[in-house]
Amino acid sequence: MRIIVAGAGEVGVHLARLLSQEEQDITLIDKDAEKLRAIDSTCNLLTCTGNPISFAAQRSAGVENCDLFIAVTPYETENVIACEIAKSLGAHKTVARIDNYEFMDSANRELFLRLGVNNMIYPEYLAALEIKTALERNWVRHWFELHGGEIIVVGVKLRDNARIAGMQLKDFARQEHNFHVSAIRRHHQIIIPRGDDRLEPNDILYITTTSDHVDELRDLCGKRAHPMRQILIMGASRIAIRLVNLVDSHRFKFKIIEMDRERCIKMSEKCPEVEVVHGDARDTDTLRDEGIADMDAFIALSESSETNILACLSAKEMGVKKTIAEVENIQFISEAENLNIGTIINKKLLASSGIFQLLLDSDSNDARCLALADAEVAEIEVKPKSKITRGAVKDLSLPRDVTLAGLVRGGRGMLVGGNTVIEAGDHVVVFCLQGALHKIERLFN
Amino acid sequence: MSARRAATINYPQVARIIGWLLVIESLFLLLPLVTSLIYGEKDWIVFAITAASTAACGGLMALLIKPRSREMGKREGFLLTALVWVFFSAFGMMPFMLNDNPLSLADAYFEAMSGFTTTGASVIENTDTLSHGILMWRGEMNWIGGMGIILFTLAVLPTLNHSGGMQMFNAEVTGITHDKIRPRVSQTAKDLWMVYIVLTTVLLLLLWLGPMDFFDSLCHAFSTISTGGFSTRNSSIGDWNSTYIDIVITVFMFLGGVNFALIFRTARGEWRSVWRNDVFMTFLKIIALYYVIFVIVIVWRGECTSIKSVTIDPLFLILSSMTSTGYTVSNFERWGTFALSMVFFMMFFGACAGSTSGGAKIDRLLYLNKNLRNEIYRCVHPNSILTVRVNGVVMSQEVVSKVIAFLCLYVLTIAVGGAVLTAAGLPLVDAFFSTFSCISNVGLGAGVTGYGGGYDLIPPVGKWILSLIMLIGRLEVFTVLILFSPGFWRK
Repeated sequence: MRIIVAGAGEVGVHLARLLSQEEQDITLIDKDAEKLRAIDSTCNLLTCTGNPISFAAQRSAGVENCDLFIAVTPYETENVIACEIAKSLGAHKTVARIDNYEFMDSANRELFLRLGVNNMIYPEYLAALEIKTALERNWVRHWFELHGGEIIVVGVKLRDNARIAGMQLKDFARQEHNFHVSAIRRHHQIIIPRGDDRLEPNDILYITTTSDHVDELRDLCGKRAHPMRQILIMGASRIAIRLVNLVDSHRFKFKIIEMDRERCIKMSEKCPEVEVVHGDARDTDTLRDEGIADMDAFIALSESSETNILACLSAKEMGVKKTIAEVENIQFISEAENLNIGTIINKKLLASSGIFQLLLDSDSNDARCLALADAEVAEIEVKPKSKITRGAVKDLSLPRDVTLAGLVRGGRGMLVGGNTVIEAGDHVVVFCLQGALHKIERLFN
Repeated sequence: MSARRAATINYPQVARIIGWLLVIESLFLLLPLVTSLIYGEKDWIVFAITAASTAACGGLMALLIKPRSREMGKREGFLLTALVWVFFSAFGMMPFMLNDNPLSLADAYFEAMSGFTTTGASVIENTDTLSHGILMWRGEMNWIGGMGIILFTLAVLPTLNHSGGMQMFNAEVTGITHDKIRPRVSQTAKDLWMVYIVLTTVLLLLLWLGPMDFFDSLCHAFSTISTGGFSTRNSSIGDWNSTYIDIVITVFMFLGGVNFALIFRTARGEWRSVWRNDVFMTFLKIIALYYVIFVIVIVWRGECTSIKSVTIDPLFLILSSMTSTGYTVSNFERWGTFALSMVFFMMFFGACAGSTSGGAKIDRLLYLNKNLRNEIYRCVHPNSILTVRVNGVVMSQEVVSKVIAFLCLYVLTIAVGGAVLTAAGLPLVDAFFSTFSCISNVGLGAGVTGYGGGYDLIPPVGKWILSLIMLIGRLEVFTVLILFSPGFWRK
């Protein structure tokens, strides 16, 4: 596929790198030649210096026959105009990153389609959704529902007290038929486990299961669900506003601490049912005054990743059960995960995973992808007569960095074991390390 | 202790890829093998042995070495690119050593390196003694090396189609900035090779239409488009004494000196990119300027004997020197010393980057010229903002300073190389001239090496040094010299 990414900011670069590893033809446009130089010499893609909203620059990048045009410059107006130009020049599909919730409204959809913007990505909204899931399923680190909730992938950290800690994977599989350990994050690495691997304390396990057995899994990992009610948010950012508007105000009670007075006033104007406090959430006394000890969850959404991580750590010390931090430096994510911060929110990863999803959708094999920091989960439809249907999974000699976790057949979710035979029409959930997805796609076509 | 630790370089992966490349080289060796069989020469055994041992060594390296990680960083890219050329020459020299008139180790290595780097300097005095197979192999070495070993591999080996391949592409392709014509490096490589193959085929057919037979046409097509300059005859192109061949060769030497990405764009119908390309226009202007100078010199010295002597002959010589092909015209000595000094200039800067030619490249001349003009202007107007504009884009000062650093290193290499050769016993002028000729991949010789004569009089040590210098010239200094810097190996 020929894909043009406009804007070499962090989202653009991350996305371009990700897609280039997936063997797509990428052209990256940016005004700033300096930004492009670094990625040009290290990545297998084409760069083009020029303004994304210039006809000449878009033409020289070859927008006439590109399959997807992605505009991720920092300004939404520029993105929308860039998409408009691209569409008029002949791009098949366009995606714009936006910062305005109104644009997402289905009533306005028609207008944007007319303008030539096929899809919109709103990272703050995705982040708010992610936080909402994290609050509702507060015993897990990650929660992905695939195929309308038939298959559920749960990321959960294993504590010493869990029954299954120290168990070899083949014993675990013999004992528990309803779970499939699909990936393990150990220290900074993601492992696709084999039968000989052991489940060690402090691992984050990505377990695939069907919707009926999720509750068993919670007991198995030695976790309890805490009812969430009182929630403290640090930073009245856009994500915070989105989040508060998204969730039911009867279910959660939010309190927001913000340093900037103006923003406090704006917040209270937009979200009247929320208690807004003007103060510094880095200060332990402020936290104590606002009753941190009684809080069920603490969400750090300030601009600085470091502040968010440290604030979550001190909240944990003061007895908050669940902490969520926004970490915008991708390098910090695995560090932060090791530090026992419950859930990490990264707008860039969410945005690129959202776009990735759109991309795979258009790739006609109806796959959905959920990008972890360095691994991918995809749902791929099996085509008739594809290689994967030729025998039981254990006889297929799949690549080592790939595992098949579950499948949906006739609308019912089930797990994949060594003896499962995959049939045409199944939707298979695949785990793979980053860059390995294209290896497996061949097996399905 | 810890400060001097060696850097982590993924040697197994480097070795494995070299293995694959050697397997590819063994496939290239099949062409001279077939040639020998067709001409009924017993040299086919030589090529069979070479191909088999190359394939065996390469295959073993590729299959037995199992690198723990496939990561290729900048260091691996540089190391691999430089080593590939060394290995290719090491295996490519075997036919010269195994045939009936075996060359010594130093001679054979020099010949192979001269072939792959498209220098075209030869230690073989008399090409009549060579079999068709060997002649074909010399031409083919020129051809492979002209476009680049790595670039060929990028086009055919899918395993290199990632960021590691990018590093190697950057390390091998000539020029200041690297033109990618397609998003993926393998597609770029395929397109460039396609241009190369089409040009070679057209040249082959045109030569074959003239007085050359198929064998000579193929050999000359190989060595002309790659601007290598190996010929099948002692007196090179002059042997045919044909105006038609001179014209055809001149045109294709010119094409061999043009940036292949530009040829590709033109072939796709983007004619405007040609006239907007400053480097190409400079190339044309320089040719025109030299042509005028040469015509004046020829007329002034009374060498204007025919129309050909003021039209084709000077153009042939200009393009042969500029594109570093190194073919000579018959009566060049009579044009005098001034003409020779002009040839030095042409050899130094060569033709466009991204072509198969050698030298320091016109791109750099252009940058240098514009920068010098700015510096001189700045003496009088110290506060004026002056930029180096190439192809309508302002180049950053970093790029300009890299160009200047390159030129300094280039001249320094010539100076050091020449000095070392005088230590090996060469006369002063020959030492410097042969270094110069080798680094710019031209392969002309003067003095002991004499026009049209070979490099066989140079002592073995000198040949090894010149082999290294040819490699430095072909990979444009940095890729090779960085391997000699302690910072490359240390953490």
